[in-house]
Amino acid sequence: MKTTRIFISALLTEAVGVLVILAVWGGVSSFYPPYIIPSPIETISGISGYLPADLSGHLMITLYRTLMGFLIAFIFGTSGGILAALVRADKPVNSLMVALQVVPGTILGVIFLLMFGIGSATPILLVAFLTLPTLAINTINGLAKRNTASENYLRSIHASKWQIVRFSILPALVPVLQSNLSLGISMAVKVVVLGEFIGSQDGLGYLLNHARLIFNMKEVFFYLLILMAFSLVFQAVQSLFFSISLKKFAYPEAV
Amino acid sequence: MSPALMLKTSALCKSYQDCSVIKSLSFELKSGERTSIFAPSGAGKTTLIRILAGLEPATSGKLQMNDPAPVVLFQEPRLFPYMTVEENIKLPWRIHKTDWTIQTQLDYQEWLNVCELNAWKNHYPYQLSGGMRQKVAIIRGLLGSPSLALMDEPFQSIGQISKAAIIDHIKTRYPNLSILMATHSLEEIPLLTDSVYYFVSNQLENPLKLNAIDFQNLFSGIVYPANDFAESLKGTKECL
Repeated sequence: MKTTRIFISALLTEAVGVLVILAVWGGVSSFYPPYIIPSPIETISGISGYLPADLSGHLMITLYRTLMGFLIAFIFGTSGGILAALVRADKPVNSLMVALQVVPGTILGVIFLLMFGIGSATPILLVAFLTLPTLAINTINGLAKRNTASENYLRSIHASKWQIVRFSILPALVPVLQSNLSLGISMAVKVVVLGEFIGSQDGLGYLLNHARLIFNMKEVFFYLLILMAFSLVFQAVQSLFFSISLKKFAYPEAV
Repeated sequence: MSPALMLKTSALCKSYQDCSVIKSLSFELKSGERTSIFAPSGAGKTTLIRILAGLEPATSGKLQMNDPAPVVLFQEPRLFPYMTVEENIKLPWRIHKTDWTIQTQLDYQEWLNVCELNAWKNHYPYQLSGGMRQKVAIIRGLLGSPSLALMDEPFQSIGQISKAAIIDHIKTRYPNLSILMATHSLEEIPLLTDSVYYFVSNQLENPLKLNAIDFQNLFSGIVYPANDFAESLKGTKECL
């Protein structure tokens, strides 16, 4: 019961941003005919008429690719950032990550397509490669700004290295992990569509590309709505996870 | 080193690039002795405490200590924000995997009474005032009955009445505790310590060792001994 309440509360909090976008979209659509920008209501009405029969299959495969790509980026980006910060290689790793960020997604997508062919590999790798640098940079910066006073205290009482990691560094990582989850999922949802545009014949990105080519703007906007819903649910799930399991580390101020 | 000595430095130096902070500093602290370090701001008191605590290496010189694990009371409380007051105080016992005995519990309760923190033991640091946090840090440091405490202005955020109560408790409860306290506060010097190392310049070098009460009287102007030594100090009063 408490979990449901926290989840709904997190969902409502995250929904504020989506509601603002919907309001702006509704406002802008009033200046254009529905074949250019349909309003949110026009997009949803009569939806079943133009959607593919196996929409849920496409949604599931996009979900799978998003999560897989994000997971790879999250694991390698976060652990790479932690390692770089701990061995004080943060500056070179940071500059490498910034350089990686400059590589355009379309070029990487084509390279992956040529290497792995049409299928799930291209969108998954694209998500992983384009999201990883942001997460690594965020981790390095987050750890660099941590309060080291508590580490010094632990050293003064002769705590072991593992105890310093356990009592000081891991708790300092919690806000970093939270922002990595939030940031990474939003990026992954955007990038997976690009990957499916380039290198697959299924998934939401493929459907979006198909609808775009025949100028079916209602369908295009409907898929955008689904992507927003994806992102919303992911954000609510991560908020729920942090509220339940790691809330005590999200302290209001450092002492 | 003689067991009668708790701490001894010989020609200790510390410099950062071109800036010399501690310059050939030699001094000693006897077992059970309580001494203050009084120097202008930025003279390097905190650096000295950090070196003595093993948190920073000296550039050169010799440091000998009879207690391998002195307790350090920092200027800031350095509490763990995700732990309650009680969890913070018990942390050293968790770190060293030692038993929290009945006697420790009794001492802990006594400390909570002295610091008026009984009602706050299950609260988190962010729910406490700055002075209360500092009291928690003092309890955490001294509850384990250390033999040497290195203090870096530990009472600066604590009110006068509480400060007097805490100092009185330290003197009563830990009569054999050796203390080296860096401070800015003239009144704290005779309250907690018996003597003071007075550093005239902006670097820690050639300290003058004085009796704590004489030192306070000298600078507060109550008694101004008309001897040569006092005369030599007249020109340094502006550093306060």
